[in-house]
Amino acid sequence: MTVTNPAIGSARAAEEPSTTERRSRNPFKRFWPQYVAVAPFYILFLVFGMFPLIFSIWLSFNDWDGMGQMKFVGLAQYRFLITDSRFWLAVGNTFLIWIMSTIPMLFLALVIAFLLHTNIRAKGFYRVAFFIPNVTSAVAMAIVFGSIFSNSFGIINSFLNWLHLSQVPWLSNPWGIKVVIAVMVIWRWTGYNSIIYLAGLQAVSTELYEAARVDGANNWHIFSRITIPMLRPVILFTVITSTVGGLSLFTEPQVLFGNTSNIGGPADGGLTIVLYQYYQAFNQFDFGYGAAIAWALFIIAVVFAIINWRLVSEREVDGQKVFKVSRKQRAAHASAEPTEVAAK
Amino acid sequence: MTTTVETPPAATTTRLGDPTKTSANARTRSLVGRIVTHVCIIIGVMFSIFPFYWLLVMSTQTTAQIFGYPPKLWFSSHLWQNLTQVTHDIPLFQSLLNTFLVSLAVAVLVMFFDSLAAFAFGKYEFPGKNGLFVLLLATFLVPGSLSLVPSFVLMSWLGWTGSFAALIVPGAANAFGIFLLRQFAQTSIPNEMVESARVDGAGFFRTWWSIGVPMMRGGVAFLGIFTFITTWNDYVWPLIILVNPRRLTLQVALSQLNAIYSTNFGEVMAGAVISVVPLIGIFIIGSRHFIANIAAGAIKG
Amino acid sequence: MAFSRRSLLAGAAGLGALAAGGLSACGSRTSISSDPNELVIWYWDRSIDPALLSIAAKQIPGTRRHLRADIIGGSFDTKLRTSLAGNAYIPDLTNINSNVSLYFPNEDMFLDLDELGAQNYKHLYFDWKWELGVTPTNHFRFFPLDTGPTGFYYRQDVFDKAKIPSDPESVGAAMKTWDEFIELGQKLKRNVGSFMDITAGQLFGQYINASPQRYFDKAGKPLYMNETSTIRDAWNMAVKAIKAGITGNQQVSTDQNAAWESGKTAGHIEAVWWAQILGDTAPDTKGKWRLAKQPVRAGNSGGSFICIPHTCKDPEAAFKFITWLNNPQNQAQAFNNIQLFPSAEDSFTLGTMKSNTGFFGDQDPLTFFLEAAKEVPTSFISTYEAQAAFFGTEITNVEAAGKNPDRAWDDAVAQTNKILRKRGVHV
Repeated sequence: MTVTNPAIGSARAAEEPSTTERRSRNPFKRFWPQYVAVAPFYILFLVFGMFPLIFSIWLSFNDWDGMGQMKFVGLAQYRFLITDSRFWLAVGNTFLIWIMSTIPMLFLALVIAFLLHTNIRAKGFYRVAFFIPNVTSAVAMAIVFGSIFSNSFGIINSFLNWLHLSQVPWLSNPWGIKVVIAVMVIWRWTGYNSIIYLAGLQAVSTELYEAARVDGANNWHIFSRITIPMLRPVILFTVITSTVGGLSLFTEPQVLFGNTSNIGGPADGGLTIVLYQYYQAFNQFDFGYGAAIAWALFIIAVVFAIINWRLVSEREVDGQKVFKVSRKQRAAHASAEPTEVAAK
Repeated sequence: MTTTVETPPAATTTRLGDPTKTSANARTRSLVGRIVTHVCIIIGVMFSIFPFYWLLVMSTQTTAQIFGYPPKLWFSSHLWQNLTQVTHDIPLFQSLLNTFLVSLAVAVLVMFFDSLAAFAFGKYEFPGKNGLFVLLLATFLVPGSLSLVPSFVLMSWLGWTGSFAALIVPGAANAFGIFLLRQFAQTSIPNEMVESARVDGAGFFRTWWSIGVPMMRGGVAFLGIFTFITTWNDYVWPLIILVNPRRLTLQVALSQLNAIYSTNFGEVMAGAVISVVPLIGIFIIGSRHFIANIAAGAIKG
Repeated sequence: MAFSRRSLLAGAAGLGALAAGGLSACGSRTSISSDPNELVIWYWDRSIDPALLSIAAKQIPGTRRHLRADIIGGSFDTKLRTSLAGNAYIPDLTNINSNVSLYFPNEDMFLDLDELGAQNYKHLYFDWKWELGVTPTNHFRFFPLDTGPTGFYYRQDVFDKAKIPSDPESVGAAMKTWDEFIELGQKLKRNVGSFMDITAGQLFGQYINASPQRYFDKAGKPLYMNETSTIRDAWNMAVKAIKAGITGNQQVSTDQNAAWESGKTAGHIEAVWWAQILGDTAPDTKGKWRLAKQPVRAGNSGGSFICIPHTCKDPEAAFKFITWLNNPQNQAQAFNNIQLFPSAEDSFTLGTMKSNTGFFGDQDPLTFFLEAAKEVPTSFISTYEAQAAFFGTEITNVEAAGKNPDRAWDDAVAQTNKILRKRGVHV
């Protein structure tokens, strides 16, 4: 976590006398507004979130079909999980689809936001147009995309035919189905993330840009030296939320195959972790196992989120990179005199 | 804010010496750039809109036309029929109103509580802050769908089953929004402003209201819109908790259109369009706040 | 922090005790209707005749109660189970879909209808349908609503083009066994390039639906492990069908609809209720479809039930509603209004049922499916069939992903057994 802004309270805190007595009483007295400000969330969580949370943890140590008696089984659910090849397939699928969807999606979103931020007309219309995918009904989109990617009757395959290329079995092949799901995810979320980036871009003072232009900086310089660093906190946000969203991918595969008996699609190619969890809980009525899957996902999500946080937050990024913008930034650094924009 | 940019190389100065050539080049470059920009945007817009266009088309069709082959991508004539069928089969207007009120309530509460918390997390230090924030993020990662039964039990203990309080109160402050606005607070609110407010004698809440919220406006507006939309589209929890057929939300009411064997898909699509149109309206209204140039002229430096 | 950890453990222990008590120990049961004379039923759209519901809304005949009917859309089972688990807002009556066996492990949640006099009505309904509502412990808890006898739907015009004798008698005669069915499919494929059905999985499932033996016996013992079993036979047939290339590998509904409409897939073995769907999604094919007897005998696919949760405020009145709703006259009327195929045999002889002619040319689907309904064998659907879905998945893998059939079978058996062991079934 970068703390580039020396925040307000610390300076004061340093001035406080260091007696234990004073310190134990003072923090709450001195900082009571901040505690009051953050309290509502924790209170609501305590009341409405805690019970279900503990319940689901407890559930993962039990066997329960949703209606009858619970049976305590200790770590059996987790032991089963480790040896469940279908679960690990779901993990692999989720990661693959995440790579295929989240990375291009965030990159596209950034590009679109930047494009929308320039001086063009009809910005309002474009913004709405890009946001619309995010609010359309997923069920309707399953019909639409199922039709577009249909094996024998779809637009894509007809187009491929027209180019004299062979048809692709989008909907009956495990890789094809991943592509379809990834396309649906990119379609739905690119505009949404670009709106977030746009809001962030709006928050960056135009004076910075003007000053830079006066000094002769071109678009590329502005993009890499000013925009990206200023946007870093927002980029971090979208990376984290897209990671969490990608790991919890559920809607798209579910509307494609959820009503069929084969919930994961062809060869389980579309089976994601949350879809598998949902299947165990609401189709197989094995809530205990569903809970174990959910908590395994939580652990995976935490690890992954931490990795992403580290990657995006660090100022100097060396070695392997996953995040494209960082790579560009490093290239920019390498090609010219490294000058850092000190954001305050 | 200080900006350090490298001094331009000599070549530029030479180019600057010839005004006509520079402006022509610059104009051409800028024109090409603008065309490229526009083309890219138009392509993106077409991809974005096409499936939605298809949804609109489906809402004017019959089930046969929707599943027909080849797919018919131009408007048919059954929109009115589908719409009236929807109003006939479900309590449409009542549930539209209910959903609007619930979504509005949640959005307002979320904007209020989340911006408060985010301002504190983003611009202030206080003991335990980091730990609390990490805890907040952790709740963000916690799985949701398994909480149906315990939440239902909790609500029936509270006597909130069937009431909209069960939809509004639990979501009045959420980790997602606090996280979002904290990042916005860090991006868009300069410390100097907060400091100068403190020097002027403003307390935390005054600073939040007069400086924090206006400067985070883009983020707050986005959060409000997004929360409205998420609440509007929420399906599973309202399905479970609402038991009075006269007090339903829109998604639950629309799901009643799914018949046991044969569903009227034209009607379902019309319902989907009805569900989306208000959201687009909300977005248009709310997104004007993205235009405003925040912090313009507030601090020089 | 020690404080929160301790309270967490205490909370968890407390909640564990609570949960172990089935979540019904604490908290009062809250009633779904505050009107003492009102019974509430949960059903989904077009699963009960609205005309009958409006009569019951004023008064359930023979009782002093009236009925409030709430439509529950998707996720019906989730909502019902959540209410039952939370012991609150449980309806007095509810529909259950054909997956009724999912409720067998918790059958105590529903009243034993024999105790309300169900035996007096048994003679009115198809035996096999009645039996499906009997739990493994031999309690009758789920009353018949509608049924789904199956047959082979086919496109007569496509068969004509393929120079196959296309009247229903001939087609039925040409597929008395599954081997003959496959041969016919090969001819169809050779001559016009069309398929007999959308997927081999469909054939697999319908084979089982038409058999007296299924996956498990009443004691829960897996039958597919036996030397010879229906499941193995169905599997072999499906593999043969895949190898012969007579199914279209259309795994998604948009593909399937397009195939049926264009005639690329010229047939489908499915229940009577599919005719509605076909009529809605492909009305241009009206008059082109016919019905023929499927191989061996007809089966049953789908069809729902109605039952009384244990919290019902007036079981006698609820049962009166059930028997009134499902008397032969009313079932016949329901068929006319919303095409629910009756489970009461006498409905057919009343002469009031109007048939949907025209879609099948001059063929009367009512006669066809009545004959089919009489053929359906009595079978037992075990609650564990929910865990046996791997067979369907693996057959799809053989068809769509070219998986080796023997490996697929072994995988299906192994995965099913693994899950069953997890459920405590001795395999």
